[in-house]
Amino acid sequence: MTFATPLLAGIAAAIAIPLLILLYFLKLRRRDVEVSTTLLWKKAIQDLQANAPFQKLRNNILLLLQLLALILALLALAQPERAGKGGSGQRYIILIDRSASMTALDAGTDADRARLDEAKDQALALIDTMREPGPFDRADSGADQAMVIAFDTTAEIITQLTSDQSALRAAVESIEATDSPSRLKEAFRLAQAQRPQRFVEDEGLNTGPSFAFHLYSDGRLPDAAEALPGAQDHVAYHVVGSESSANIGITALRAERAYDEPAKLSIFVGVQSSDRQRRKVDCELAIDGRTVSVREITIPAASKPSAGDSDNRWTPGSGGVVFELDQPAGLVASVTLRTGDDPAGDVLAIDNRGWLVVPPAKQTSVAVVTDGNFFIADALAGMPLARLDLFTPAEFTAAMGEGRDAIYDVVLLDGWLPEVPEGRTLPAGRWLVLGAVPVGEHGLIDEGEGDSAQIIVWSRAHPILRGLTLDALTIVTSRTVALPEASPASVLAETQFGPAIVELPGPDFRALVVPFDIMETNWPFNASFVLFLARAIDYLDRDVAQARAASGASRQFSPGQVLTDRLPLGAEDIRVDPPGDLPEQKLVAASDGRVVFGPLKATGLYRLRWSGPAGPVDAVNDGRVSRIYAVNLLDQDESDVPAAPGIILASQEVSAAETENEASVQKYWPYLLLGVLAVLMLEWYIYNRKVAV
Amino acid sequence: MDELLDSRLIAQISQLDLTSRKIFSGKLRGERRSKKRGESVEFADHRPYATGDDLRHIDWNIYARLDMLFMKLFLEEEDLSLHIVLDCSESSDCGEPNKFLSMQRLAMALGYIGLVNLNRVAVTTLGGALSSHNEPRASASAPSPSPPGGEGRGEGSPSSSLPLPSHSIRDLRGRRRTQDLARFICALRPEGGSDFNECAKRIAMTRRGKGVMIVLSDFFMKEGYETGLRLLVGRGYDVFAMQIMSPQEIEPDITGDLRLRDVEDFDQAEVTITAPLLKRYKQTLAAYCGELREFCARREITNLSVRTDTPIETLLLDYMRQRGLLR
Repeated sequence: MTFATPLLAGIAAAIAIPLLILLYFLKLRRRDVEVSTTLLWKKAIQDLQANAPFQKLRNNILLLLQLLALILALLALAQPERAGKGGSGQRYIILIDRSASMTALDAGTDADRARLDEAKDQALALIDTMREPGPFDRADSGADQAMVIAFDTTAEIITQLTSDQSALRAAVESIEATDSPSRLKEAFRLAQAQRPQRFVEDEGLNTGPSFAFHLYSDGRLPDAAEALPGAQDHVAYHVVGSESSANIGITALRAERAYDEPAKLSIFVGVQSSDRQRRKVDCELAIDGRTVSVREITIPAASKPSAGDSDNRWTPGSGGVVFELDQPAGLVASVTLRTGDDPAGDVLAIDNRGWLVVPPAKQTSVAVVTDGNFFIADALAGMPLARLDLFTPAEFTAAMGEGRDAIYDVVLLDGWLPEVPEGRTLPAGRWLVLGAVPVGEHGLIDEGEGDSAQIIVWSRAHPILRGLTLDALTIVTSRTVALPEASPASVLAETQFGPAIVELPGPDFRALVVPFDIMETNWPFNASFVLFLARAIDYLDRDVAQARAASGASRQFSPGQVLTDRLPLGAEDIRVDPPGDLPEQKLVAASDGRVVFGPLKATGLYRLRWSGPAGPVDAVNDGRVSRIYAVNLLDQDESDVPAAPGIILASQEVSAAETENEASVQKYWPYLLLGVLAVLMLEWYIYNRKVAV
Repeated sequence: MDELLDSRLIAQISQLDLTSRKIFSGKLRGERRSKKRGESVEFADHRPYATGDDLRHIDWNIYARLDMLFMKLFLEEEDLSLHIVLDCSESSDCGEPNKFLSMQRLAMALGYIGLVNLNRVAVTTLGGALSSHNEPRASASAPSPSPPGGEGRGEGSPSSSLPLPSHSIRDLRGRRRTQDLARFICALRPEGGSDFNECAKRIAMTRRGKGVMIVLSDFFMKEGYETGLRLLVGRGYDVFAMQIMSPQEIEPDITGDLRLRDVEDFDQAEVTITAPLLKRYKQTLAAYCGELREFCARREITNLSVRTDTPIETLLLDYMRQRGLLR
């Protein structure tokens, strides 16, 4: 038991108690009554009535009760409390998880409340126990302060450190769940950033006061081990939700077209169940809003944690289904799990749906520019390409002049290089260069032909060369090249004279360069040559896909991410229509056509509409172009809903049980005031009974 | 007088008479048998003749039979001296019904009974004052204070000997003196304190003869009543101590934090009236009355407790008859 404001109460007691006793002596303004004789009265009150003041106080239950009430009130003023940690002026950081798993309906006594609601209630209870500033304290000096941070993939400060409990309460109540996964690390970093740093003379930089972190979460925090509270900080973990909740959710959703037959579309649905019994669910696939298939999935029961498992968690069972479709066109698919009517069998609803935006079938188009190297054309003929065209250098030069080369994803140059302006190395595009050396600013240094050589070292980890054996390759006439200083080029294979295969990244081109003439080697007769060509084209093409993704061309996002995309130049009146009840928002494109929206809070389909030019796969309706994006949770940790009884942070391990045992600050002053009221009522009753005749 | 006794009451009490457990000698021949042998029709005894005896009382029949002279003795019938002592201290003027008024009415009734039965009636006050405008005619006709044993027989003679104010009217006899008695009693005003012991001493010293003495008081005397009563009874009076108390004294109806002021000596007592205190007060009162009763019993004083709210008829016709004061 400690007192928050003992000095104040002491001063008040020093004034009030003598005052009460003094008043008691002075208080009686007795009514004068004439009696025939005082003889009998004096005899009757002989022992009651005495002149000595302290005798007067004796047996006076009313004064004693008044003193008791006063003492209780003074004790209340001293704010006694069963102390938790630290003295006055605690700084609480209230971290509230608002991620998708916090919408699971398994919290509370009846296990039917949302976890977030329960977490908010617990946080409010903590705020109630915070020490308020005393009546004569300077603001925030003796009082506890708290900061409320809500986090999912990002963390947001809802209120700064304050002792204003109503503001804190309002802040906690304003928190709403999002559909994002949780990331704890950023929340801690955000809190640390708020810690006032002080420079103390003779001590150097001081990290400021210690924080008491109160984390309200279900423990589904995959990055908890990276969260680093300060050395003196105290972390309390308040777990919400049940440790044995069952949930079935989609954790993977992917569409893939067959490599050789792009019209064949496979949609993979991965499902996870944390139920400790085997479950059967129906999985429904809808294309553009129309149900096309329903498949039953059997998901095995979650498996018990093994004996050596440190975090003692059940491993959820997983299953899946593949829908095979014949759909060359682009489409929007939605997948829904039907998990039955029992809400306890599936506590989290938002992971039961998923959406996919599938682009139209597309394959690589390759142009081969050669003077008649039939090896190359033969080797490529077996590949599933959308297009394979052969050009002579003259024809290709003409095609470049007309702009017809833009339809090719990758161009293979055999012993020839297109003409480029002075200083440049290659035109924009993806190039596989065989038997030629691109020189220039981003190119190589050609040192002329060399002697016969062998590949002596190659990068076996590179996607192109993985698993290939180049030992048998004999180069009769090698071509010696060197890398300019500070070149970003990377060497994939080397002969004893220098680089033999070089990846050449340029500002607007990418190239793989094999400088020697393959006709001067035995490589075309080796199986590794075909594999090399296929992988190189695939690699360069994938590079195109990556570039597309990097520019925001991907249509799949996770909640918490920021939606970015590049719209055709000239797009106007851009609006984004989020799913559900969220209001439509207007966006403004940057000068290069890039738009940014987010972070995305809800899962579902987001529709971006604009007026103006359309991209190659965009739908046009009444002059408005629309592009659809799918936002899916697809997070194994969020769907694995059973609450974790403990979490492991970077510097310490916190368990919820510890937190419960830990004495929270218990304030007694309301009880004392109730006691004052009771004593006053008792005094009033006794006074009336004494007076009543 | 009508204030004190109404005609109906007069009719009721007219046939009452005072009694005394003792038979006292009187000054005049009255209607009462006396211990004295005297000249009445009632034979008492014989005794041998002695020289000088009244020859008229010789029993000649005895002389004829025995040849000896015997005197016939008759019981003498005498009057009874009734002395009413009235407490006129300030403290009597309390209560509802008023204590002093009750005392006045009782004194008047008893005095009337005495007068009607040809007893000698005297009234003496303890303290008090006489209203000047209403002085009894008796004192107007005989204004000079009659010295003790003086010849004021039949005349009211208020005496106000200092330092203690005390008034008295003496030697009233016969129904026709009723008005004098009434005038005297009506003129009394309660005032100041009373030193009962001192007054009793004076009464004991100044009275003549023996008789019935009725003391009307509340007996709430700070200096004590013991000495006074002892003095009164010591001179052979048959003393009746009538303790008059108002209902407010027996069951106080005051509450709260009070400063009680004694109307006589202005003594103050600060009390907080509580239920336990009231209980204690009643216990004290009962003990006080008990002590008085015991004291009286030991000294052959008849003690009567009278509540002022008891109707005077009940008092006179029932209560005092039962207690042997009236018959």
